[in-house]
Amino acid sequence: MSSISSLTPISLLNQIEKPHLDLGIVALTDSAPIIMAQQLGLFSKWGLNVELHMQNSWATLRDKLHTEKLDAVQMLAPMPMASSMGLLGPACPLLTAFNLSMNGNAITLSQSLFDDIKCLNGGVIPDLPLAGQWLAEIIEKRKLSPSYKPLTFAVVYPFSCHHYQLRDWLESGGIDVDKEVDIIIIPPTQMTQALADNTIDGFCVGAPWNTKAVRDGIGCTVITSCDIWSESPEKVLAVTQAWQRANPNTFLALIAALQEACEWLAFLPNRFETAIKLSQPEYLNEKLDIIAPALLDSCLTSLESSPREIPAYIRFYTRQANFPTLAQGHALLVDMQRAGQVPNSLTDLQLKQWIEQIYRPDLYQQMRQIQQQVASM
Amino acid sequence: MSQVSQSVPVLNVLIIDDNSARVAAVQNALTGTAYNIQHLASTKSSLLKEVEASNADIIILDMESPSRDTIESLSVISNYNPKPVVMFSTQDNPALLQESISAGVSSYISGQIDPQRVKFILDVAVARFNEFQELKQELKDTKEKLSSRKWIDQAKALLIEKQGITEQEAYTAIRKMAMENGEKMEVVAKNLVSMAKLLAGGR
Repeated sequence: MSSISSLTPISLLNQIEKPHLDLGIVALTDSAPIIMAQQLGLFSKWGLNVELHMQNSWATLRDKLHTEKLDAVQMLAPMPMASSMGLLGPACPLLTAFNLSMNGNAITLSQSLFDDIKCLNGGVIPDLPLAGQWLAEIIEKRKLSPSYKPLTFAVVYPFSCHHYQLRDWLESGGIDVDKEVDIIIIPPTQMTQALADNTIDGFCVGAPWNTKAVRDGIGCTVITSCDIWSESPEKVLAVTQAWQRANPNTFLALIAALQEACEWLAFLPNRFETAIKLSQPEYLNEKLDIIAPALLDSCLTSLESSPREIPAYIRFYTRQANFPTLAQGHALLVDMQRAGQVPNSLTDLQLKQWIEQIYRPDLYQQMRQIQQQVASM
Repeated sequence: MSQVSQSVPVLNVLIIDDNSARVAAVQNALTGTAYNIQHLASTKSSLLKEVEASNADIIILDMESPSRDTIESLSVISNYNPKPVVMFSTQDNPALLQESISAGVSSYISGQIDPQRVKFILDVAVARFNEFQELKQELKDTKEKLSSRKWIDQAKALLIEKQGITEQEAYTAIRKMAMENGEKMEVVAKNLVSMAKLLAGGR
């Protein structure tokens, strides 16, 4: 690995170990860096011929990465930890050296649940972002009914920021998440249908699915992940540790192309163009008015109220945003511990050792050096 | 299915798949075995409820199904009973995939539906799953035993120190108290320890 930093960009391009790459993604608005890198020809600029493979479930995307059916994948930020530690599944050491996006999730409540909250507030829409206490009040009130059933919320995957953000919000209202609500797993594409037919009372999901629920008139988006957490990595680029060792230059070229796509996405007018691309059938296959708002920092709330402006609703780029820090990895592991997914018996030192294997800011910095050399040529 | 002998319990298999030809192939393959097939379309949002209502002992679905995360979460979420999951796969290296799957929860059926193999794969999946569940239960039991031992040890140490009795006498005293009150030894031990703490000023 020590030879890499002395490589010139030209020799990096000449030493791509694996020019053809199969890259796995799940069709969501925050797949934009990968889709746009492809659309803008940035992968080819870095000597890579990338084929994108849409995956319908996170578990199958994970299995295909573990077995090298896919070379690299877009992952929910907690997934590399879960894979490396073998949590509720097969163990396979993964690494990440690139944050693809930050923020971008929101919690939407069903129209009937939101109407109940409005009722408690004298028929007036309460202030948004909605305080968790409203939910606690609803639960207390409903417990008095003989037909009481706990509220059911859906998230997309057990190891997801959506899950931890939902827990944090409910806990902030004094709700005992493990005892007082049900949390189930539903794929993003089926969320709005589940809300419409009252299978669930609310969900925490990424764009564009909150927008779709509001446009369809079936829910109200009451709080965004920006209101709950500040600036945390949402999706990361992950490869197996063995793959990176076998293809060190390819890996740097791949994240260099993604870095350029993220910089391109920082410019607002480019994000509208991105919305048009994402709406196409081969990607999200949803209407522009569903996809564009979140990319333009607009959070639709309900049919009867104005959208909220959420600065950096989905953040693709700042000078620091794509740089994965050990502190970010640590924060995620602590969230996983609090959700009962990582044993509390692991000491801080043991957590640190895991993070140092999985989070590789050093590789990100190598990529940045190469980019600077390219820029000065 | 009518040929199943009385001694073999019927296992309900739920197939979640939109490919009706494949469902029919599996159904044919399992005719006359202990496996009883039910079929559901994959795109229903109420899938979780229907899976619970189905009383399925085993679930088959396509590895490319969007419902996979929902079905696999059955083994994560305690409110729902975990079930073995078998997945259809068109991948060309099933052995590699097989290694990758969650211990005892899922297996893959790859390529064409081979009637000879479907039953065998289901048998193995059920056996592995049961083994895994037993292991999990054993681990839970061991943990509980350890935790109850911990309380009893602390209570014994207290009695030895405060009453000046032997370890055997302390143990007998705790057991007697438990029997008299109709409580578990662990509960009695816990009460003794918290009472001692209270008397010592809530340390």
